Amino acid sequence: MMVRFSMRKCLFSLLFLVGLVNCAFAQEFRFTTTVSSNPVALDEPFQIQFMIENGVNVTSFNPPDFKDFDVLQGPSQSMGQSIMNGRRSEYIALIYVIQAKRVGNFTIPGAQARVNGNVVKSNPVLIEVRKGAGASQQQAPQQPSAGGYAPRGGRDESVDGVLRKGENINEKLRKNIFVKVEVDKTNLYEGDQLTATYKLYTRLPTNSSVTKVPAFKGFSAKDIELPNPPQASEEMVNGQLFKVFTIRKTLLFPLQSGTLELEPVEVDNQVRLVKVVQNKRRARDPFEDFFNDPAFRDPFFDDFFNRPDVEYEDVPYKTQCNPVKITVKPLPAEGRPASFNGAVGRFNMTAEVNKNKLSTDEALTLKVTISGQGNVNLLNTPKVDVTSGFEAYDPKVSDNIEKNSNPLSGSRTFEFVLMPTEAGEHVIPPVEFSYFDPSANAYKTIKSAAFPINITQGKKVKSEKQDYSVGRNELVGIETGIMPWVKKHTWFVTSIWFYVLLLIPVLVYAGAVFYKRRQDYNTTNASVLKHRYANKVALKRLELAARYLKEGKDKAFYEETSRAVWGYLSHKLKIPFADLSKQLIQEKLAARSINGSNTAELFDLIDNCEVALYAPGQDNRRMQGTYEKAVSIITNLEDALKN
Amino acid sequence: MFKSIFLAAGILLMACFTPALADDVNPQVRFDEANALYRQSKFTEAATIYQQLIDAGYTSRHLYLNAGNAWYKAGKTGQAVYSYEKALQLSPEDAAIKHNLSVANQKVNGYVGDLPLVFFQRWWLQLQHLHTSNGWAVGAVVFIWILMASLLINTQIPGLRNKYLQWGSYLFGVLFLVYLLMAIDTYNIANNHNNGIVMAGSIKVKAAPDDTSKELFELHEGMKVKLVDTTSEYCKVELNDGKNGWVSCAAIKRL
Repeated sequence: MMVRFSMRKCLFSLLFLVGLVNCAFAQEFRFTTTVSSNPVALDEPFQIQFMIENGVNVTSFNPPDFKDFDVLQGPSQSMGQSIMNGRRSEYIALIYVIQAKRVGNFTIPGAQARVNGNVVKSNPVLIEVRKGAGASQQQAPQQPSAGGYAPRGGRDESVDGVLRKGENINEKLRKNIFVKVEVDKTNLYEGDQLTATYKLYTRLPTNSSVTKVPAFKGFSAKDIELPNPPQASEEMVNGQLFKVFTIRKTLLFPLQSGTLELEPVEVDNQVRLVKVVQNKRRARDPFEDFFNDPAFRDPFFDDFFNRPDVEYEDVPYKTQCNPVKITVKPLPAEGRPASFNGAVGRFNMTAEVNKNKLSTDEALTLKVTISGQGNVNLLNTPKVDVTSGFEAYDPKVSDNIEKNSNPLSGSRTFEFVLMPTEAGEHVIPPVEFSYFDPSANAYKTIKSAAFPINITQGKKVKSEKQDYSVGRNELVGIETGIMPWVKKHTWFVTSIWFYVLLLIPVLVYAGAVFYKRRQDYNTTNASVLKHRYANKVALKRLELAARYLKEGKDKAFYEETSRAVWGYLSHKLKIPFADLSKQLIQEKLAARSINGSNTAELFDLIDNCEVALYAPGQDNRRMQGTYEKAVSIITNLEDALKN
Repeated sequence: MFKSIFLAAGILLMACFTPALADDVNPQVRFDEANALYRQSKFTEAATIYQQLIDAGYTSRHLYLNAGNAWYKAGKTGQAVYSYEKALQLSPEDAAIKHNLSVANQKVNGYVGDLPLVFFQRWWLQLQHLHTSNGWAVGAVVFIWILMASLLINTQIPGLRNKYLQWGSYLFGVLFLVYLLMAIDTYNIANNHNNGIVMAGSIKVKAAPDDTSKELFELHEGMKVKLVDTTSEYCKVELNDGKNGWVSCAAIKRL
């Protein structure tokens, strides 16, 4: 709790005060003098307070003579009222901040005031002034956490909130506020439970908020709910009493092996420190402490609050704990059952089916409950080996974890819905569940009994009703009736017959073509030879004709000449002998573009020969001309036909 | 003359097709028995009989379809998908098989789905199923005979030579090539065992063909995979979405 001070500027007029207090009920009247500390050090300023309680009609106030002291500040006046047990009380206080001039014991006489017409005097105070700063430290350790200072709403007020002269703020904060993480073990198996507690230790009044929470990388975390508002406990650290607040308490299950680090938590503190001000007379605005509870008559309070010149300072201070290393061992590989899927702790398993006899229209529920202590929240679905004949759906998982249990305990239930698809006697094999017991350092396996299920054939009415998309998910029925029972058919493509049948026509065609080619070749070859030797043959014939010419056998001469010419033409133009005719020759020659004079001479010669054959009696000279003509024509034709 | 050759060819073909009917039990009886078991919801027993018939060498889309249905109902998704895929190989356009296969694939964990075919692939596939492989082969034989005959007539007998016959021979030549190609292609497809179905409940796909290598992903029962490479123990599989890795060959049944 921070006491709420209503700050006022000092120097109210006394007259005004008189008017105000007039209306108060008459209560027990007191006029007291208190000092904030006694004994005091020589250079230590302290407060002296003169308080008039329930004084009616205060008309004058005379402070005593501070002859052995310097008045550093004051008088400052404060007033207030409170209602306690239905009785109202008022007070007026005048406060001076003074400092001793010398060492020794001094008596400050009481102040004088006129109240309700009577002169009253407050009690004198004996002040012991010591040398040096040592005296002030005397008080520090013995300040207990007094009642009335209980922390409220996460705000923690402690007892050592006074910053004395010469104290280093950081040093003081560091000593008096810190965060600590406590783990119950630092070496454990994967999946085993670890409890981490983050605590804030403080001896100072502070308003703290957690700014950075650890992410617990590599762990599965489950927070334990903490009371709200936080409850403080007390703990002795190094002989000093600390208030301890638990910031976070988490059950951690390492998900991987190796060295994992618990990240630090970071706490932002606003520490309210009471600072004793050293300087002389500060500006005219020293805050007045307005105690609205006059019941604080305890000398401690006076001592505590009525310091000569104090100032509250909110010091921000960020603190974080050291990271903690956790060594996580992998679960032993040997002896690991096949059904193990990550459960670590101590568990029990039960499995049951809701019926043993059903039709294919109904559904069967297999309920597997795993309960115990350990990573219940991380339990995987135990493998239910549903045999043929059932359609298994993903299980419905429900948890029943005990709240704030440490170690984590509870149960997880898996409900498998099995739809029988086949009639007959079926057996659901036993459900097997294995876990690792870290305390026994061994794997343990629990096995349920097998479940024999008798399934009768249903009417399938239900499934059809339920299935809203009939035809989409329903199979097209089986085919019945007489089938052509053919064994794996042979491949015609790979059989030899395929290739034989393909090759036969090709071979036949190839044979035919070859035969024709050969024939063609033969014929063309003969004509080629004839063509090539046509000239020679013709000249040979003409030679014969020349002999006849010499011998004067004119008929034979003409015959031979005519034969030579015709033969030549037949060979050269590749015309069978029987087909020869003038017209054909003309066409052929024209086709080979032999010019007109050659043709005309040729036909002249042929005509001559024919005439001479049928009309003999030609003279020798003419025969000579014919011969020469025949030679020249053949020569000419040879030239012409060559190209 | 050509007629008689065709006749001879036909007879030869018949000889090739004649089934060797020498089974101890009449398959029809067994088949009816299995169908009856199926109707009584005794799917495992029915499936066993269908499977026996298949193993005996009978192939028919009906048999595969029924076996697929029985396996599906008995909860053996892998076997069911395998049977449907087999049936689909025999008649790829059958709507019933396609439907049942898609139903079975719904149960396959991680089913990716086949890539849709491009239109010409579809046409090719449809064309392919105009005839059976043997039909294409017979066609190829027939067309080469006609082609050769027309060529002979066209080239060797000058009196019958004409333009139509020439064009006809071109046509027959093209037809022959198409039929031959189809016969070979259908044979290849039917004997292509590069696809497989995962039969084990779930198998780990590894990065390399050995036990110690890194596990890449998991394959579940009924998944259709493409076999890319094989060693004695391991097969490299590829999924439709391009993921690949090595699995034990024992877990995969080749189509």
